[in-house]
Amino acid sequence: MSAAKSIIISCAGVGSRLGLGQTKALVKINDRTIIAWQLELFKDIEDVRIVIGYQAKEVVKEVLKHRKDVIFVYNHEYYSTKTGASFYLGCRHGNEYAIEWDGDLLVHPDDVKKLLQEPGEFIGYSEITSDEAVYVQTDKQGNVLAFSWESGQYEWTGPACIKRDKVVFTKGNVFEQIEPHLPIKGVKIRAYDIDTYDDYKRVSEFVKSW
Amino acid sequence: MKFVFDLDGTITSQETLPLIASHFKIEAEISELTRETIQGNIPFVESFIRRVHILGDLPVDQIDRLLGEVELYPNLLKFIKENINSCVIATGNLDCWVKTLVEKVGCKAFTSTAKVKNNKVEKIEKILKKEDVVKHYQKMGETVVFVGDGNNDVEAMRIADISIAVGTTHHPANSILPFTDYLIFNEKSLCLQLNQLL
Repeated sequence: MSAAKSIIISCAGVGSRLGLGQTKALVKINDRTIIAWQLELFKDIEDVRIVIGYQAKEVVKEVLKHRKDVIFVYNHEYYSTKTGASFYLGCRHGNEYAIEWDGDLLVHPDDVKKLLQEPGEFIGYSEITSDEAVYVQTDKQGNVLAFSWESGQYEWTGPACIKRDKVVFTKGNVFEQIEPHLPIKGVKIRAYDIDTYDDYKRVSEFVKSW
Repeated sequence: MKFVFDLDGTITSQETLPLIASHFKIEAEISELTRETIQGNIPFVESFIRRVHILGDLPVDQIDRLLGEVELYPNLLKFIKENINSCVIATGNLDCWVKTLVEKVGCKAFTSTAKVKNNKVEKIEKILKKEDVVKHYQKMGETVVFVGDGNNDVEAMRIADISIAVGTTHHPANSILPFTDYLIFNEKSLCLQLNQLL
């Protein structure tokens, strides 16, 4: 991967929809926390930034078991903001390009490698699997033209890579930060995010094939 | 951009107080005071005055020499030396104790000050409030980055434009975390972040 990219993992949220009583980074998938799965995928990346908020102390403790050279970024307003605020805070003093990665997102390791080698900006999308999805609409070449709550050929689970200077503060979602800059090259990946308990069960099966 | 660094445990990879205590064999007195301070039973300024009462009779030149040999984080020192005009130290330590140490670091330093007589601390003249250093540079129009780890950094970190809590020597004080933008446990990552902020 180009040295000029930072990975921003957003782990600040409460994770209330999942209903397991903890922030999603600490949820265990087959006896391993989600953040541990993610850190393994990014072990060769120099600039990994983890945005923390709810249960910050516990997330820090868990991360330090696996890696000490991450940069933790606080989102103290985690309760009144969404992932867009975390992404902004995570990337504002980082490298030229920022890769946004939600704390509940797991991507097949082969696809992670592909994404990390991808030059410039991109948006990762996958087949529709989630119960509550944000969709992407693409052209024939796979470029992402629009996000939608209603319909689209694919689901947007993240990640996305965008130039840091384009990311402005929002209390809303990451896709709202990216929307003004579309179209952006799309990359189809095998990705799952974990919003609900059914998602959690699906992902537990998915990682068994890794 | 102005980078304001705490000294003990931030630029130095050893805490200086236990080093002095061990050298002069007064660990028991110092560790009791440190424990009470960390637990919040003694406010910082009172703790500092008590510390000077314990250490003030010790030979100033010996403490200065001892602290002049304390280990520093090499990559951080390199960053400071390469950006010498953008970096300053803010330490509650007395000027007479850290003279050699701050000369070794090389950048401007704000310290507490004391009157020295017969190679002993006769009187504390000023106890540094680190937040005053932050305000000073902000008034000059600088964006101030504060890098620290201790309870006595709280006010400075609260008002700094960007605050970095470091856990390179020990875990940073819980009291500073609500005012922290970045939390970093590794010297290389700290330098990466400082360079990105330049």
